[in-house]
Amino acid sequence: MSARHYWMLALLLAAGPASMPHFAHGSEQNRFYAQQMIERAVAHDETGVAAMQLMLEQNPRPAPLDAAVAQAALRRGQAALQADDLDAAMGAFQQAGKNDPGNAEAFNYLGLVYRKLDRLPEAEHALLQALALEPTRAVAWFQLAQIYALMNDVRRARGALANTYRYAQNPMRAEEILRNIAENEAADALRAAALETLRLFQLPVEETIVPPLAVNPDIVPIDKLPSNPP
Amino acid sequence: MDALVKLLLLVLALALTGAAPASASRQYATIDYYVQQMIAAAIAQDAIGVLTFREQLENLRRPEEGDPWQARPFNQLGQEQLTDGRFRQALLAFRQGFIADPTDPEIADHLGLTYLRLNRLKEAERLLVYALSLAPARAATWLHLGQVYGQMGDARRANGAFANAHSFAADQPRTIEQLRQLATTDAADAVRIGALQALQGLLPAPAAGVAPAISPLPQSPAEPAPFQPVPEAASKPSPATAGDLFAALRRGLMDLAKPTTTATPPTASTPGTEAPDQDNPGQRIYRRGVALTCLIVSLENGKTSNLGSGLLASPDGLVITNHHVIEKARNLAVRCGDRESVARVSKRSRQPDLALLTTSLESSESFAFDPTYNQNLIGLEVFVIGNPYGLESTFSTGIISGLREIDGVRYIQISAPISPGNSGGPVILRDGAVIGVATMGLKVGQNLNFAIASAELIASGIFDPARMKVSR
Repeated sequence: MSARHYWMLALLLAAGPASMPHFAHGSEQNRFYAQQMIERAVAHDETGVAAMQLMLEQNPRPAPLDAAVAQAALRRGQAALQADDLDAAMGAFQQAGKNDPGNAEAFNYLGLVYRKLDRLPEAEHALLQALALEPTRAVAWFQLAQIYALMNDVRRARGALANTYRYAQNPMRAEEILRNIAENEAADALRAAALETLRLFQLPVEETIVPPLAVNPDIVPIDKLPSNPP
Repeated sequence: MDALVKLLLLVLALALTGAAPASASRQYATIDYYVQQMIAAAIAQDAIGVLTFREQLENLRRPEEGDPWQARPFNQLGQEQLTDGRFRQALLAFRQGFIADPTDPEIADHLGLTYLRLNRLKEAERLLVYALSLAPARAATWLHLGQVYGQMGDARRANGAFANAHSFAADQPRTIEQLRQLATTDAADAVRIGALQALQGLLPAPAAGVAPAISPLPQSPAEPAPFQPVPEAASKPSPATAGDLFAALRRGLMDLAKPTTTATPPTASTPGTEAPDQDNPGQRIYRRGVALTCLIVSLENGKTSNLGSGLLASPDGLVITNHHVIEKARNLAVRCGDRESVARVSKRSRQPDLALLTTSLESSESFAFDPTYNQNLIGLEVFVIGNPYGLESTFSTGIISGLREIDGVRYIQISAPISPGNSGGPVILRDGAVIGVATMGLKVGQNLNFAIASAELIASGIFDPARMKVSR
């Protein structure tokens, strides 16, 4: 990337926060940077992603209002999630986030519960919040990719999957997960996003077989072929 | 505004230093560098170099441990499927195992080996290199990596990897035997050459018994692994019914058009015929394939009710054809080359449309199957032998036009012309291996025909893969 590109990137980023309403700062701005991490990942701009990551990491984490209450709520939420009581889990994780706004895990769980409840915009919001607090949290990037795929937004799903791979503790494992999705996932958007991500990083993947054909009544056993084809 | 200033400074700093942050792909690049250095040192017979880079690998940070309890059943399942030749299912199982525990070098190795079997060499290389980062002295992984490089046509690196396989092996005589096998029977030139070079580096005298290995590929596939005998009752049709059926078969065949020459391939000594051009792949494939391709006659009340084709799949006379060829048959007769037999349906399957027939046509030769199923096939020349409209042993050619998955069955689309009567016949690659079984065609259009992929046949369970020659 040339110096000109770096300046353009800086101006682009500067335009984002500057165009925000006056009251929208702090967490809003951080979510904007997390979104920019997706945009930079889509463009396969590692330096841009790293710049956004550093920006987020330099921000001081908000102090907990009541860390003990937040921890108790987090544990309650996990238990409710395990028991598949999604409403109780949602309430508990919301409480954990309120009492400790710097707790990435609480927002990560909240995003997961919202996804299970099919409340996709809220899930996206919560996961971006988790990533604004902890931008290298691969599992949150992966969940965010699933949200975008459910929204049929292949481009952003690809960016989120790219960051999943980038921050994976074990990249070879992440690579194999991506290949598995690219070759076997039934949902088109997620499958396409995984395939594009592998290609983005120039990782090998089996060329996709053409999608299964709908039953074509003209395809018949050879012995039933007409004697004189048209 | 503070944030903006910070950002501008950060971006400027990155631009000026040009420092790119460490990426996930660099982790692999580091591992690969050390593995390649171990290979280079092995080629140079530099034992200290091998040891040095092995230590470098061992000093890398270990990945976070997974869940071995969750991974183990997948590994077990994958091994069973790999042994049975069900490579795609094995891939899924090993993948699940690897995702559950990416720190188990055995699972990583098995996953790499499965990719190798599926001819997905890049993935195989990556997984095996990664497996070596977990266990740099794992001889089996080095052996597999050598095969990957050989399949890629890189005899030099194959040699280095094979040399490491030997030096780390707990049972070195066994590894030498494995290398001998590769040096003499592997289908890929570079594997044979790499194995031979490794052997020559290991043994004081030229590797005994493997001297002629570096030669052009044999025209016919290597001899198969020993086949298990078929139980007598299953393999031999009852002789009591054979006489009647032969008579009916002869009557049925009398009605059919026959090729002007005998079904036995002409030889150079046949008076009045020219010797076939040895370099012409079509002639070579026809001469070998015609004796292994069968005419299948369905008989009902002594009359021919249907005709189809089949292919001889094992030395004990098992013949593969389409289910729809034999679907309504009361009695079946088969002629492969110039030999005839009655046949019995041993196994059948509507989806995929396949059937296995038992005949008495024992043969020293049978078709080998190519399990490949990927886009690299498209454009390859194919040859079809069959009996369209009873025109025995008709030979046609075309190319692989596409890969199609229809109702969950993998097909190869071919442009070779086929007609009723071709069903169940072999679709053959230039190296003589069967890549598919001619099955369907599109009623409209031109030469839009489909063969069940050999990969599907192998995975279908219609035929015991252990008795099947699979070309590699």
